[in-house]
Amino acid sequence: MRTATPTSIAPTDGRPLPANRIVTTLSSDLLVIGAGATGLGVAWDATLRGLSVTVVEQGDLGQGTSGRYHGLLHSGARYVVSDPASAADCARENEVVRRLVPHAVEPTGGYFLSTDDDPPDYVDRWLAGCRGAGVAVEELDPAQVMRQEPLVTPRLARAFAVSDAALDSFELLHALARGVRASRGSVLLRHRVTGLVPHGGGMLARIVSLRDEVALQLAAPWVVNAAGPFVGVVAAMAGVHLPLALGKGTMVAMTSRLTQTVLNRCKPPHDGDIIVPVGTVCVLGTTDVPVRAPTDLTIEPWEIDLLIREGQALIPTLRRHRPLRAWAGVRALYRPADDRAPTRDLPRAHVLIDHAPEGLPGFLTILGGKLTTFRRMAQDIVDRVSERPCTTAITPLPAEERRFYRLGESLRRPPPTQSRPERLVCECEGVTASQVEAALAESGSDDLDDLRRDLRLGMGPCQGAFCTYRAAAAVAATLPDVPLDGGLSAFFRERWRGIRPLAWGRGLRQADILRRIQIEALGADPVDEVVR
Amino acid sequence: MKASPVGSGPMSIDVLAPLSAGASGLAFFESDLCVKCNICTAACPVAGVTELFPGPKAVGPQAARFRLPTRPEPDPRVAWCSGCGVCSRVCPHDVPVAEMNVIAKSELPSRGVRALRDSILARPPEVARWLRPIRLLGRPAFRSPLLRAAAQRVVGIARRAPFPVVAPTPLRRLRRDRIRSRPPAQPLPARHVAYFHGCSTNDYEPWLGRTAIEILERFGVEVSLPPQRCCGLPLLSNADFAAARRRARSNLESLQPWAERGIPIVGTSTSCTLALKHEYRAVLGLSGSAIDQVAHATQDFFEYMEHLLAADGPHPAFGPVPLRLLYHAPCQLRSHRIGTPAVRVLRRIPGLQLELSLAECCGVAGTYGLKREFYDVAVRVGADLMRQARASGVDGILTDSETCRWWTETHAGLSSRHPLEVLAMSLGLPDRRPRSGEGT
Amino acid sequence: MTRSVIVVGAGLTGLYASILAARRGAQVLLVAQGRGGLALSHGCIDVWHDGDVRFSFRNLDPAHPLAGLGMAVFQAALTEFLDIVQEAGLPYAGGLDRPMRLPRALGTIRTTAAAPVTLAAGSLDDKTPIHMADLRGFRDFSANLAAGRLRTQGVPIGGVVELPLAEVGARDAYAHELAGAFDDPGYRAEVCSTWKPLLRGVRRLGLPAVLGTSDPTQVVADLEAGLGVDIFEIPTLPPSLPGLRLERALRHRASSIGVDVVEGPSVRGEIDGRSAGRRVSGVVAATAGGPRAFRADTVLLATGGPAHAGWMSFANGEVQDSVFGLPVDAPDDREAWTSPDPFESQPYARFGLRLDSRRHPCDRRGRPYFENLFAAGGLLAGADRTLEGSRQVIDLATAFAAVEAMLR
Repeated sequence: MRTATPTSIAPTDGRPLPANRIVTTLSSDLLVIGAGATGLGVAWDATLRGLSVTVVEQGDLGQGTSGRYHGLLHSGARYVVSDPASAADCARENEVVRRLVPHAVEPTGGYFLSTDDDPPDYVDRWLAGCRGAGVAVEELDPAQVMRQEPLVTPRLARAFAVSDAALDSFELLHALARGVRASRGSVLLRHRVTGLVPHGGGMLARIVSLRDEVALQLAAPWVVNAAGPFVGVVAAMAGVHLPLALGKGTMVAMTSRLTQTVLNRCKPPHDGDIIVPVGTVCVLGTTDVPVRAPTDLTIEPWEIDLLIREGQALIPTLRRHRPLRAWAGVRALYRPADDRAPTRDLPRAHVLIDHAPEGLPGFLTILGGKLTTFRRMAQDIVDRVSERPCTTAITPLPAEERRFYRLGESLRRPPPTQSRPERLVCECEGVTASQVEAALAESGSDDLDDLRRDLRLGMGPCQGAFCTYRAAAAVAATLPDVPLDGGLSAFFRERWRGIRPLAWGRGLRQADILRRIQIEALGADPVDEVVR
Repeated sequence: MKASPVGSGPMSIDVLAPLSAGASGLAFFESDLCVKCNICTAACPVAGVTELFPGPKAVGPQAARFRLPTRPEPDPRVAWCSGCGVCSRVCPHDVPVAEMNVIAKSELPSRGVRALRDSILARPPEVARWLRPIRLLGRPAFRSPLLRAAAQRVVGIARRAPFPVVAPTPLRRLRRDRIRSRPPAQPLPARHVAYFHGCSTNDYEPWLGRTAIEILERFGVEVSLPPQRCCGLPLLSNADFAAARRRARSNLESLQPWAERGIPIVGTSTSCTLALKHEYRAVLGLSGSAIDQVAHATQDFFEYMEHLLAADGPHPAFGPVPLRLLYHAPCQLRSHRIGTPAVRVLRRIPGLQLELSLAECCGVAGTYGLKREFYDVAVRVGADLMRQARASGVDGILTDSETCRWWTETHAGLSSRHPLEVLAMSLGLPDRRPRSGEGT
Repeated sequence: MTRSVIVVGAGLTGLYASILAARRGAQVLLVAQGRGGLALSHGCIDVWHDGDVRFSFRNLDPAHPLAGLGMAVFQAALTEFLDIVQEAGLPYAGGLDRPMRLPRALGTIRTTAAAPVTLAAGSLDDKTPIHMADLRGFRDFSANLAAGRLRTQGVPIGGVVELPLAEVGARDAYAHELAGAFDDPGYRAEVCSTWKPLLRGVRRLGLPAVLGTSDPTQVVADLEAGLGVDIFEIPTLPPSLPGLRLERALRHRASSIGVDVVEGPSVRGEIDGRSAGRRVSGVVAATAGGPRAFRADTVLLATGGPAHAGWMSFANGEVQDSVFGLPVDAPDDREAWTSPDPFESQPYARFGLRLDSRRHPCDRRGRPYFENLFAAGGLLAGADRTLEGSRQVIDLATAFAAVEAMLR
């Protein structure tokens, strides 16, 4: 096992570091860039194998693609025809993930539904594919499905049950981060890698801490580039060009949990043919649009229209329900130069690239794959780094009393005469004041969007119309050096982004009320100053 | 897939349990409509006086998002909802908050002796039938503090809640000349109404029914008493939807022939008429052309009077009534969404000075205030009205709902009448109200 | 001859217009689906963010709903508004020649022409140092946020105090519930004795607007007497008391001067079949039992903008008024309805009906749709009132002009 012994700190791009610049130098056995499911999965695996690990993430937990997905823990059934290898991986990993993080998985089950409009011959190919890939399938009577899910279309030709589930990725990421920290690992959030150079048989990374503007260096014999859509940017820092296709997917959350079971169309996979229940909402997903930059998250009206139109094939009354919010996530898929397939049809199996042949031993990139198979991807990578066996499949993550958000917890009460319920900050999602205080204490972040990721604050029908102010008040009361408005205007702008694509009808009413409350009732304006 | 609860974490659900009828009856459309503005919470008379009820939005469309098959009613605090309907009426976004909450309440588990009590309070005509033979004994019993204290302790009927006296002869016996099982054959007399008197008028205030009929006859309207049962609203408010539906179907069968012929179905009890117009469809889920016809044909007494007065005359003259009275629009009347027709009509009476109540609800909300656990809240809800009544120095209170009358008479200490009694006075009709303490 | 009028919508525009019309002898029916805008309102009559209303009136875009009305109309409207609220028992202070600067919940400053007296007492022309108060357990106001931002604008802030509330128990109270508690003189006395020792050295106290549901002047007077400090209110998160008080006062006033209020049904317009499509006959209300027609000589639409569905918008890009289905101009591309930054002008906020010179909704060529249909308030096109700060000016001035035109 190579160890890090920094001998000199001169970066190879020729720029000497100014002599008076104070730079903290860290070292660990493994540096992981990106704290998505893949990166944290790698870190967790590595810590179990006795390595010291540092994870560096430019945003907050879940701010990247792992936090922007539709919540599906795949049974694999979706890919049995188009990508059997991926399907088999998903089928195996589905069961493993349920064992690892039971509190993050909602065992909803899934249906594959062949409607009267879907090609009947696909079903047979699909069934054969399921068998081949080891995906468990059970055929059901469509009438039974309609009883279970009253909103599902009555135009069902055939129906099948599979072991899809809903995965709360924030819970997963938090659990992984806790696991890493509990055993010799550190997870540095809001830290961005700005340079990556070979160094002493490994790599040296230049890192800046975005919140307090501190510069660091970290030397490690192994560096794993798990930066999701930013893998290309990171690789380029080390002088490597990665042939990538970036695909942006848009998803829409409906205001209510219209189905208790994951609904899939049994047809060749295409845009908008999944509906996933996640907590109090359900998510329609997804489109697939090629983009040039990992930060390109624009959502266009045709995408919304497509998702709702496609969703109606599964839930005919969908148009009567209110779409709550839209967001997008970008995936990077490996695309060697001669491949012209549209991004949707690129193989989803993950790709591991060793950059040693390019003069960068110890530098590995991992991309592609699905969140469902994160553990497998991590295993493949860490196998390159360590000879010890992988134990992640049999080691549950630290079981956690969920400190933060629990679905409907504020509603679990003793009978009315004895009630003394907690103070609610976010009424829509039932987030209490003590949950907010605990989350602020743990994260120390004055960014209300971070609080949102932890607690689902502002994710309900009012999209922060009321709770933003209350949370901002808590921030101002608890943390030093916060913006003058407690972060309200920044969060308001962020919420506005996701409701704009749905700003018609009820959505527009809600948006206008949100805006009137912040600006007219409370007097919000864009404030940049921080109170010191 | 085999149905089995997986894991014991907070998100474990029995995935194959079907949604209950109530929960699926409002399949999320309605809770999606809510934009969380809290206007309903601001108007809710109960939330305004007790911290045990977080408001209609919280237990209604907000809690509905947490509904799961194993948890059709997520928030048990909905038990505090009085069913007054103010929330639905003030909502600018079409959310049927009150209806959602009535349905949610019906899904709460019933609790032992309270269930028995609710069953009794939900059946006024049956109670009248049992009590009538022993009413001379019954009345002093009802007033006995000892017996009322026992009733409060044992079954949970608030000991200070006012109850009406059972009349010795029901309306339908007094005016059996007007009973008709179906509408008269063609051609119809010029003006004809089917009178839905309801059980409160029939069994407890038959004089009111007599007066109503006499007023209509004075206007040249022929009045029939169609077959009818209790409208079922007390049953619906007390979570017995099955029994309420039976009454509803029976009433629909009796009333549809009249509605079909374009004959108005007129009621003097605003809760009965609201049940016919609205609750049958919106809460009990009845649908079809029969109920649509009946709902459309149903009119509150003064709603019908307005039509009469708007039609070509001549009309009987309104004599002066030199009284100063406080008119309180019952919450069920406001839920008709027709404003206050009684005020519009009574304004024509010379010499009558009408003050208008500023309160949303007198407090009793049907049977709510009669229950021990809600009595204090009901009193607080109505406190403003009682204060206004006493401070205004009026001669009495007018209100179209019987439960409001009985409640306000006790709590305001002023006589409380149906506005049609003032109309009768103005028209010079005899006063049919019995002397205090006696039936007709 | 008494003219009969149906006013649709019971926000500030509709309530105010119905009272004006009743005062001028019309027979008025006010019909509204629900109660809406005022529950969100701070209750003040704002006059543009920069406070110079005369300047603003002179420089209006021709498409602005106030274009062509002039200051004199607004002056008259404001005068009558102040008269009405005085009669209704909810006194306001202020006037056009003396705009006030009042603090807001986030510590920014509002410029307003008229405010309820309990809010006007917070005028920043008074340089006495202010102490802001948190009410413990009341989550809808933060003294820190208010005081912090005000300090950066040079407002003398003496400090922040935390004051306990009796009876805050099982759950959060909304503003209107606390206000209900303050209605009780006994509660006020208790509050005074608890707070007094905590207010030593405090001369001027800023509290969230929870001081009573209908008579805040009395509540404040009692507290000032009991505590020996000057007190003013700051409007905060909805349900907003100043707006609720105004709504209630206007509604009761309307009722008591003979306006017939029908609350609850949505309405569709009804066209007079004998007028060759030139006139409306009234509205059809969706009452509990079914549709009921209400008829009158004129109809005034005061139904507001998008928030309470004065106009409705659809996924296919169509926008129309919710009563008569009159078309509202909007870009076909939905993306063009909103701007990315909520602090910038929003195109949707300028959607609405345009009016001809007689206050009739009209088409693009200026032809009125109906001879006896009028419109006022938030339903009118041409202004992002949130950004301008012109909501109340538009409501009052256009209501005034509409009533004048209707009863001419």
